[in-house]
Amino acid sequence: MFAALANPTRRDLLGLLRGGPLPVKAIAERFDLGRPAISEHLKVLKDAGLVVEERRGRENHYHLEAAPLRSVGEWLEPYERFWRRRIGRLRQVLDEDHRK
Amino acid sequence: MTVTTTAIITDEYLDHPPQRVWRALTDPVLMRRWFMACDDFRPELGHRFALDMGPWGTTHCEVLALEPERLLKISWKNPPLDTTVTWRLVPEGSGTRLLLEHAGFDLEDPRQRRAHDGMSGGWRGKVSSGIVAVLGELAAA
Repeated sequence: MFAALANPTRRDLLGLLRGGPLPVKAIAERFDLGRPAISEHLKVLKDAGLVVEERRGRENHYHLEAAPLRSVGEWLEPYERFWRRRIGRLRQVLDEDHRK
Repeated sequence: MTVTTTAIITDEYLDHPPQRVWRALTDPVLMRRWFMACDDFRPELGHRFALDMGPWGTTHCEVLALEPERLLKISWKNPPLDTTVTWRLVPEGSGTRLLLEHAGFDLEDPRQRRAHDGMSGGWRGKVSSGIVAVLGELAAA
């Protein structure tokens, strides 16, 4: 899964699919890469369980599979919150001590 | 090589010069006010200290890299977590861009993942753009 994520185009693809399912054609139009390259990236994401391909009418749509990402989020979120709060307090301390 | 660790990254602009931000990051009197009590901290390469993290137990730290007003990297070991915390200070206008990287979370180590189960009270149950961004900062192989 993490090798699949270690590529900026694939992360952009996931970001795009956060907005909802899309057919390959519409996905490819958003990128400067050819459709074969996009299909290859989508295949890597599919093999990693991060997106699901689904037949809808004449075109295949891809949608985001949220569970793997959510499980990482659940794990790291408390740490991220810890640091954001601390940095918020750092800002307050600096502002209090150095009012302009 | 498969990448299995990830990092938390934050990026904040502070309207204070690097010299002032550095002091807040490294002076125990100031650290107590925004971070936590760490009276035995000293900004010296190789210096070891411990942090009482309350429900998270004790975190053992060592200063791994130090460039005054630019960079501070410490180890952050709270078994089974074996991570590093790096502060980078970049001058920007009259202020400082403060970058934090908490790196080395091993996503394929189930002990790490179980260690702090239940600490995640505020999770909203959907994939946030923040998480995609966090994953975007996967440690380089």
